[in-house]
Amino acid sequence: MEQVKWIWSVMDRSYHKWHIMALVISAVTSLMLLINPTLTARLVDEVIIAQNPEPLVGLLLTMLAVKVLREGSRYLMVTTLERTSQNMIYNLRRRLFHSLQYQDARFFDQNRAGDLMTRMSADTDWCRHFLSYIDYMATDSVVMFLSVSIYLFFVSWKLALALVCVTPVLMLITKVYSKGARRMFIDMRDKLSEMNAGAQENIAANRVVKAFAREEHEKEGFDHKSAAYRDANLAINKRWLSFYPFIELLANAMTFITVFFGGILLMRGELTPGELTIFTSLSWALSVPMRNLGNLLNDWQRFSTCATKVMQLDLSRPDIRDPETPVPHDHIEGKVEFRNVSFTYDRQEVLSDVSFSAEPGQTVAIMGPTGSGKTTLIQLLARCYDTTGGEILVDGCDVRRWNLNELRGGIGTATQDVFLFSDTVEGNIAFGNQELTVDVVKDFARRAAAEEFVPHLADGYDTIIGERGVGLSGGQKQRIALARALAMRPGILVMDDTTSAVDMETEQYIQRELRQLPYDCTKIIIAQRISSVKDADLILILKDGKITERGTHEELLRQRGYYWETYCLQNGLDVDAPLKEAM
Amino acid sequence: MARNKFDVDETLESPFDLGHLKRAFGYIGRHKYIMLLALCLSVVASVTGLFVPKITQWVLDDAVPNKDMALLARLAIMFVGILLISIVFTVIRSRMMAHVSQEIIYDIRKDLFAHLQRLPFSYYDSRPAGKILVRVINYVNSVSDILSNGIINSILEIINVLFIIVFMYATEPTLATIVIAGLPVFVTIIVLLKPRQRRAWQNQSNKNSNYNAYLAESIDGVRVSQLFARQDVNCTIMQRLAAACRKAWLRAIYISNSVWLSSELITQVVFTLMYFAGVYWLGGSIVSYGVILAMGQYVSRFWQPITNLANIYNSFVNNLAYLERIFETMDEPVVVDDHPGAQALPDIDGQVDFNDVTFGYEEGQTVLSHMNLHVNAGESIALVGPTGAGKSTVVNLLCRFYNLVGGSITLHGEDGKDYDISEVTLHSLRTQLGIMLQDSFIFSGTILDNIRYGRLDATEEEVRQAAKIVRADEFISEMPQGYQTTVNERGSSLSQGQRQLVSFARTLLSDPRILILDEATSSIDTKTEKLLQDGLQAMLKGRTSFIIAHRLSTIKNCDRILYISDHGILEAGSHDELMAKHGAYWELYTAQAREQGMMTA
Repeated sequence: MEQVKWIWSVMDRSYHKWHIMALVISAVTSLMLLINPTLTARLVDEVIIAQNPEPLVGLLLTMLAVKVLREGSRYLMVTTLERTSQNMIYNLRRRLFHSLQYQDARFFDQNRAGDLMTRMSADTDWCRHFLSYIDYMATDSVVMFLSVSIYLFFVSWKLALALVCVTPVLMLITKVYSKGARRMFIDMRDKLSEMNAGAQENIAANRVVKAFAREEHEKEGFDHKSAAYRDANLAINKRWLSFYPFIELLANAMTFITVFFGGILLMRGELTPGELTIFTSLSWALSVPMRNLGNLLNDWQRFSTCATKVMQLDLSRPDIRDPETPVPHDHIEGKVEFRNVSFTYDRQEVLSDVSFSAEPGQTVAIMGPTGSGKTTLIQLLARCYDTTGGEILVDGCDVRRWNLNELRGGIGTATQDVFLFSDTVEGNIAFGNQELTVDVVKDFARRAAAEEFVPHLADGYDTIIGERGVGLSGGQKQRIALARALAMRPGILVMDDTTSAVDMETEQYIQRELRQLPYDCTKIIIAQRISSVKDADLILILKDGKITERGTHEELLRQRGYYWETYCLQNGLDVDAPLKEAM
Repeated sequence: MARNKFDVDETLESPFDLGHLKRAFGYIGRHKYIMLLALCLSVVASVTGLFVPKITQWVLDDAVPNKDMALLARLAIMFVGILLISIVFTVIRSRMMAHVSQEIIYDIRKDLFAHLQRLPFSYYDSRPAGKILVRVINYVNSVSDILSNGIINSILEIINVLFIIVFMYATEPTLATIVIAGLPVFVTIIVLLKPRQRRAWQNQSNKNSNYNAYLAESIDGVRVSQLFARQDVNCTIMQRLAAACRKAWLRAIYISNSVWLSSELITQVVFTLMYFAGVYWLGGSIVSYGVILAMGQYVSRFWQPITNLANIYNSFVNNLAYLERIFETMDEPVVVDDHPGAQALPDIDGQVDFNDVTFGYEEGQTVLSHMNLHVNAGESIALVGPTGAGKSTVVNLLCRFYNLVGGSITLHGEDGKDYDISEVTLHSLRTQLGIMLQDSFIFSGTILDNIRYGRLDATEEEVRQAAKIVRADEFISEMPQGYQTTVNERGSSLSQGQRQLVSFARTLLSDPRILILDEATSSIDTKTEKLLQDGLQAMLKGRTSFIIAHRLSTIKNCDRILYISDHGILEAGSHDELMAKHGAYWELYTAQAREQGMMTA
């Protein structure tokens, strides 16, 4: 019921009354179903048997009117429910998407994309199905069952009581069924989500699959998931079919009791033939709701499983969010300070006691072995994760006291793992700043050395590039990603190994351009090449999460540590060479 | 290459044709005997069900007036017996049909997925992943019921209708004709609605697909969106897509619901007309009480199945939109495919020949033109040149990821014969080549399995050996569960460099005759790279290799360096030869050397 309350709250308030009205119409029109059979009975008695055509026209027109009224109202009702449920799913999709957009990095580390997709598609659709179908079917069934029972009580309380006696048994069956079914529905939903995730990963990995000729292996893996989903469905079906006979027996017990117990009562003279006719003609109105009950039960189980998943997403609040009272900033000056920053993730220490600072306009370069925590360090700066010790200050203010959008909007990051969107080249470059004119986009593309290849693409800047920039070479993707970061006019420009796939000549060009950007910014550069870092105001060597060396190019060469070794390796020098010769 | 974006509808190329149905029947056909049996069971169950009114009649007409308790008991037993038969048959039928419908889903999905595995890069490159995904998952789920139970039920209903028609004509032909006269009206309504209905549901599936595409992409790219503080803009786009879904759905459902509405109304009109005719036109004397009563019941018995058929038809039309999309994907041409009668490539010795190779990704575009290259077995070849010049293209063509526009590529077998790569099976070709792609993809799962992807039957020790060569063993061993450590989708818990190392180990493990490294170490620090290079030298011995790298220091020792530019090989030779030549390579090399502050080469 918690789930129902929740989806009710997702619907716009103004739609609530419409939805309730539709359910009322559903209740009323389900009773109207009882009118025409009654009129038909009169038609038979008064017209056919009495051989008197007079009441015919009146009766037929009434019946027609009842039917038109009923079906018309039903159409309106169903339409209204479709509209209100669409309002709900529309709100829900927006809400969930919003929630997703603001979840923190940890959330995305823990939740697979395929599962999130399932929540946003199949699961939300079951929430809609509840409002557009399950609830009115349930209303119909309950109203019909109750009203007919009450009516029959007035006709013959004995026979009606015998009929209603079945209800507790039904409740019991329902309860037993629901109890075990719940787990199975959860299992089926999980299997669906796994299959979804499997397919998604396969599509993303299509190049690797082909490169290793692993099509058969992939098919096997996917078929396995697909079969697991099939089996989960069949298991539910099997369980359902073990309960179905009981429900069907009970539904037929209605007819049975009416005919046989009614027959006995008739024999004893406790019931008139006319009264029994009423029972026989109405026993369907008791058995149909019972039969519906089975389907409704399954639908309900499915709905509540899905709704729970959706609710979890809707209610999950990211740990990293705007502070209650953020310190307002209209732009970033570019002063960065790390004070004794430590970061532990999954009980593994990634960074420990990292301290450094950069004045606005300065360049800090970070080098270090693979996996030493360089990328993590800049993720902390943009507050993708929160530090577990120490603090990071931007413009003298702790990043945790910044409004997230202001902070991140002021930091332009060209990420290492380039993700481009399936949009035009222009759209991708203007990603962080929608208002850019084409000329400005081109200018930043030029600075990122993208101008030399973009015009040669099929539609130039209007070329749609595939998701993740498929169809572009690694170097080309990196240059677009760089242009995208530059176009934000950030106060802090972060380049995470941005030019690793770019040829040397282009890299030199880019570095020249970076020195003459049309705005001031602090630059944080992560790189493996000495050439990329040597002009920095401060170079940090990060090893196993700690800063082991720091200083300028010359200072670090003199220290003869990691930096010196790298320098020698890249320049084909002997590590033991005299410093002077090397420089 | 025209690419599809999340907010662009994919127009369906093929008009609706019976071919789709025929094909759908192909999936159903596998189960035809079971379905036939299920149909028989259903007929038996419903025929026995028809006895229930009869029993009622016997109770009221015979047992009750005569106060015959024995007869009453016998009838009660009969009732229960009939009920049990009907329930047992229904349970068996449901069980069988559940299997059939799940098998149909499974089969369609299997075929669809298998076809997707054969589709070329260009298919994946030209549309958002979400649009492919929604077909494999959501659409396939939707169509199964209509293809299994839908078909059985429609056959049952048609049988019902035919029976009732016979009964009606036997009872009173004129009234029967009136009842049936409603049918053409109904059919006309359906026929008139159909084109709109079909278009509306297609539109709905388009909008749904757009929504899913954007969703998938947004989830994938959420880290970038957050870094660029773009969430609000994304939410606005999503709002637009969700609104389009809502609009399309409502439009489609309005049309579909009117089918059911009209069938209900026609039923009542027919009922009214029938009574009028019965009483006035034929004259009360001719139509007896029994006849009109029977006909009255037949009206609802006739129109109920028709209404059911209309509902089945309705959901058929909705699902047709999905079915068309599924078949459309299955019809997507496999551009790069095994030649008919292609032989498996026997073991190769590593000699490669590019003969007059011409290639462009799109028509009219030339990346390589008339390129010739002879590579000896065991030779190491480096490809250098500006970004986008076609270095990756050369190796992509060797793996036959794309078909050539002109010329041929041949591999030399150990049997002494040359084999054109387009004439051998793709599987036998690619398993002998080991390519490490620029995008080092990591699967969710353990690191062990990720490396083992290169050779599925490799032992843990072999995996470890490969990891050792590329220096990945060190960081893997330091992880909490070592090789059994589980990594997320795309390996987000590993650094880019670590991902590269894992993917490198994967390629090495496949133990290929020809090794292709496309920017294999671009994100790896110099020191690790140096160590890796040393280990690699041993690996490369006796193998042909193609290495693409920007850091020229890493390729200096290759046997031959090819400078790729202007649609072909501009310069070729060893490092020393090319340096002596003072050409493009020399320029590139000296520029790098100068940049790095190197003194001499």
